[in-house]
Amino acid sequence: MSKSEKKIVLKSLDNEAFEVEKAVALQSQTIWVMCEDKCVGNEIPLENVTGQILAKVIDYCKKHAVVDGDGDESSEELKNWDTEFTKNMDQSTLFNMILAANYLNIKSLLNLTCQAVADKTKTIDEFHTFLNIENNFTPEEEAQICQENLWAFDD
Amino acid sequence: PILTDLIIEIFSRLPAKSVARFRTLSKQWGSILRSPDFADLFLSRSSSRPRLLFAVERGGEWLFFSSPQPKNPYDESVTVDYHTKFSGDESSYPCNYSSGLIYFPAMWLSRDFEASPVICNPITGMYERLPNPVRYYRERGFLGFDSIEKKFKSGVICCPAYYRSLYEGICIDGALYYLAMSAEWSFVIIRFDLRSEEFKHIDAGCFNGHSNRLVLINYKGKLGGVNWKYGQAGCGRRTVELSMWVLEKQGWLKHAYTLPENEELGSCEFSVAGMTARGEIVLCMKYTCNSFYVFYFNPERNTLQSVEIQGFGANLEAPENCGTVHAFVDHFEDLSVNDAVQLKSSVSLVKHTCRCCDTVLHPNYHFEKRNEKETQ
Repeated sequence: MSKSEKKIVLKSLDNEAFEVEKAVALQSQTIWVMCEDKCVGNEIPLENVTGQILAKVIDYCKKHAVVDGDGDESSEELKNWDTEFTKNMDQSTLFNMILAANYLNIKSLLNLTCQAVADKTKTIDEFHTFLNIENNFTPEEEAQICQENLWAFDD
Repeated sequence: PILTDLIIEIFSRLPAKSVARFRTLSKQWGSILRSPDFADLFLSRSSSRPRLLFAVERGGEWLFFSSPQPKNPYDESVTVDYHTKFSGDESSYPCNYSSGLIYFPAMWLSRDFEASPVICNPITGMYERLPNPVRYYRERGFLGFDSIEKKFKSGVICCPAYYRSLYEGICIDGALYYLAMSAEWSFVIIRFDLRSEEFKHIDAGCFNGHSNRLVLINYKGKLGGVNWKYGQAGCGRRTVELSMWVLEKQGWLKHAYTLPENEELGSCEFSVAGMTARGEIVLCMKYTCNSFYVFYFNPERNTLQSVEIQGFGANLEAPENCGTVHAFVDHFEDLSVNDAVQLKSSVSLVKHTCRCCDTVLHPNYHFEKRNEKETQ
């Protein structure tokens, strides 16, 4: 790898450009494959990710590029960093992060963000809203399911 | 729109209770969340986030709670989730835990005339009375998980080579280990293989004289025993000195630790809950109170992390109302156990060789069959 190839530019859906170290960007399997195939130049267009979300993804990748592979101490620090990273994200940012992690194929980020949504979302109504799922049960069918899972509805 | 696969990823990380509730989301989700594939995914996720299960007893009522086990040393306090409650008076045998279910060797349910073994799912509150009470001092009732057949097994076992069976026991990797005493008053460990149903005796004379608080633990897949006593730290303060024996190929190996000084630990009543898969020995306060702590001791690093547990509720935290806490490490939720229409269908009763009366018996018919034999 020559020196000029050490950095690449990631371009978001809304045309925001981010210049990053290759080691940072290559945590994305999707970008890895693109680079391997040499189907892109030094500028990689990411058509599914907005600049706002991409900036956060890059923060995550930067942190993990530095620390990955180090000893126990840093992995604890990293877990703490991860917790802080998702702590103040709202539900819609988290969903967009999940979509981005999935598209960019960054397993650890996908894990982190899915867990964060699972930890934050408590009620069935939140899921109806966020996932846009329509309840197509008849009241009788719904009552039947409640009956079968009675222990989960007892409070 | 977010993809179905990604929603499944999120749902697999929810508590089992939320999954059961979310079956009313829609027809499609109702069937996905009940599928065996989802149950497998859920199990793999929940087992990677082990929890500490609390069974709190107060006046014949049991309340079940769980908290996350700390992932990093900065965690100072966690809030428990309340699961369910269950009524029943326990006799002198303490309850134990196996892969998600709690086993009471002898419990009086209100409608019963005699104490019988009861298994209980602490998440759903479903319980079942089993037909095989312990009747002799050499017998031992058990619930274990056969990790190869992936099945719970329960029954009463009885081994002639020792004088009496003691309460302390643990199931590791499909084998049940329990403490017993030989006719010479020396400790032995009885190993009962849940698949082959064979007994093996392991000398445990090293525990002689150290048995008062002895707890058997799973030391990274090996059998271990932990005991502790107070030591003096000067100026009237006390430390906790912990002894651990691990059963290695060449025999028992003893380790001794003096725990880092800790004000809460030094001044409370506690018991050893076990060892987590990450290798921390968990010490847990015995009675609920308004500043309730669990302590994680890492023997390799000699660190002690105290975590305040919140959320038992004002009632249990009031001094006049406190409950007795039994804690179990590395608990995780399993949808297939929660969904069983009958708890009994998840548990198979083990036939056993009872050498006391020299016959092969089904535990249900222990008495009846023996009487038949005598009349013949």
